[in-house]
Amino acid sequence: MLEIKNLHAGIEGTPILKGLNLSVNAGEVHAIMGPNGSGKSTLAKVVAGHPQYAVTEGQVLYEVNFKKINLLELEPEDRAREGVFMAFQYPVEIPGVNASMFLRAAFNEICKHQGAEEMDPIEFDEYLRKKMKLLDMDEKFINRPVNVDFSGGEKKRNEILQMAVLNPRLMVLDETDSGLDIDSMRIVADGVNKLRNKNNAVIVITHYQRLLNYIVPDFVHILHDGKIIKSQGKELALEVEDKGYDWLIK
Amino acid sequence: MILQSERNDSFLEGFEHLDKTIALQSTGWLREFRLKNLSRFNEAGFPTLKDEEWKYLNLEPIISRHYHLTVSTPFTETAALKTYLNPAETNVVFVNGIFSENLSNVRDLPKGVVITTLTEAMTSHRADIENLLKKYPVAQANVFTTLNLALTGNGIFIKLTDKAINKKNIHIVHVTSVKEQNIISAPRSVILIGDSAEASVMETHISFSDDAVYFTNALTDILIAQNGILNYHKAQSESLKAFHIGTTRVWQEKDSNFNGFSFMVGGSITRNNLDVILNGEGASTRLNGLYCTNGTQLVDNHSAVDHREPNGTSNQLYKGILNGASRAVFNGKIFVKPIAQKTNSYQLNKNLLLGKEARVDTKPQLEIGADDVKCTHGATIGQLNEDEVFYLQSRCIAKSDAVKMLSKGFVDDIIDTITDESIHAKLNKLLEPTFAAL
Repeated sequence: MLEIKNLHAGIEGTPILKGLNLSVNAGEVHAIMGPNGSGKSTLAKVVAGHPQYAVTEGQVLYEVNFKKINLLELEPEDRAREGVFMAFQYPVEIPGVNASMFLRAAFNEICKHQGAEEMDPIEFDEYLRKKMKLLDMDEKFINRPVNVDFSGGEKKRNEILQMAVLNPRLMVLDETDSGLDIDSMRIVADGVNKLRNKNNAVIVITHYQRLLNYIVPDFVHILHDGKIIKSQGKELALEVEDKGYDWLIK
Repeated sequence: MILQSERNDSFLEGFEHLDKTIALQSTGWLREFRLKNLSRFNEAGFPTLKDEEWKYLNLEPIISRHYHLTVSTPFTETAALKTYLNPAETNVVFVNGIFSENLSNVRDLPKGVVITTLTEAMTSHRADIENLLKKYPVAQANVFTTLNLALTGNGIFIKLTDKAINKKNIHIVHVTSVKEQNIISAPRSVILIGDSAEASVMETHISFSDDAVYFTNALTDILIAQNGILNYHKAQSESLKAFHIGTTRVWQEKDSNFNGFSFMVGGSITRNNLDVILNGEGASTRLNGLYCTNGTQLVDNHSAVDHREPNGTSNQLYKGILNGASRAVFNGKIFVKPIAQKTNSYQLNKNLLLGKEARVDTKPQLEIGADDVKCTHGATIGQLNEDEVFYLQSRCIAKSDAVKMLSKGFVDDIIDTITDESIHAKLNKLLEPTFAAL
């Protein structure tokens, strides 16, 4: 589904990713771990298309209808419409924009893109409430401006709600677990697991092994200095938890 | 360099026999009053950029033109106007400065509510008008107020006697017909709210063409007696080639409430003065404002709140969105007289700059003579937050739509303070061109 080839990217002239390769198939969960500053969040932002990051080399190929397209050539909104979803490490507060209105606008963009009929507010409200029930969330998440006055945990749960509503094919979780208490983390992980199926894929970017007890990865990759230096099964995460990163970096 | 006096001559060329017109139109004390204002106007000359009060507003494009006084012509934009009027409200319509009985629907007024032309009121409510004029010495008025008072042969007079309640919004509409060019009109409204009386008044200045060139020189005087309440909205959606200079003077007595909203989206050059005098203890005033500009528009909002008695409250929030190479000015003065202890005053001006060449000059001015007061003020000027735009984009929303959505959020924050649904809807309608252009 996703094939990242020799990706080089940076911010304001400083290189961060220095030849990253990664291949993800439908139905898989990949964890990306690494010390601070290794480029984990940059990877997520480059895939989503954040304008501050400049790609200097490489490709991010993404399969749509059995054809491979280079995501880097698409605007962020077009990537999202093709099913790429990044759950933000720091979800943004948007004063004045009602959460429910915003989600319906986002959802209808996907409908339009797929040639499906758009939902009116009443239909959408029903659909949204089903998703909220699935994630055990209450009214306050939709009846106020997006993320405004939410706690850290609430913001992250809100990201998962958005993900459930938009039903993406590629879910990129950028340190969704950092700063979460154990209960919030379980709720978030549970939400992600409910959304998983054989047609979509998950990339979990995390600093801590803990989340991976709940979202169990098929592959664990260690990122260091902008490159993946080791890839293995889920046991690698436990080993890192135990021994730290130093033995891998040398 | 052209002398100011010459400039006045040029400006007035179109109606050089104004003194004769006044003599024909008015009699008695009104004639004297108008002539006094005319001679004061002729002496004063126009302010220049060197004048602190007019530092950011170049009057040159306005005063270098020739104007003629409003004329009565058949009005052909009735259909457009009707989409803006709400028949459930009391509508008072002026076309090119002349009251239109046909387009208005002043009827079924509750007890204690008077709505009549100013001409009529000059005789029927002469004492009220003289009492009002006494509060504002001719010598202290700005030059445009003086000009308005010299020109005004007509206007609207609204009075609520003590304890009268009029919940239904009174909508005064000043529409300038697109057929006429280079008209100067001097709309004048007088609103008197009696003891414990309550009313809602909206004034709209509108044109249905952006090609019409004209000059609106408006003056509204408001008096709120003890414990009275007035919700007052001013909407300015003039032609984009028109000039608008308006002054609203508010005089508040003890425990009275004024809720004002200044909404400015039209006009080529706009100056909007709002002067509030809190002349009684415990009076409370709220001045909210929204301006949205594009192209080369200039909107200059000046507010002055004068706390003359203790325990007064004033709250101001003005927000603006500036696109293109447009400019905005906000100047908010707060005076607290030595006797006005326990005054609580708050002022904030927030600007969203969307245009690369847009510019804002914002200036709060506090003059505090009392020592036990709470006064805060602030101003912000910023662009759209890049992270917010990206967040929306990452949720499938196109960048241009994200800009619209965020700007709408910025605006809704202040528009949603308006609880009257009909007024809320009218302002949203006037905002449509702003958002279409984003």
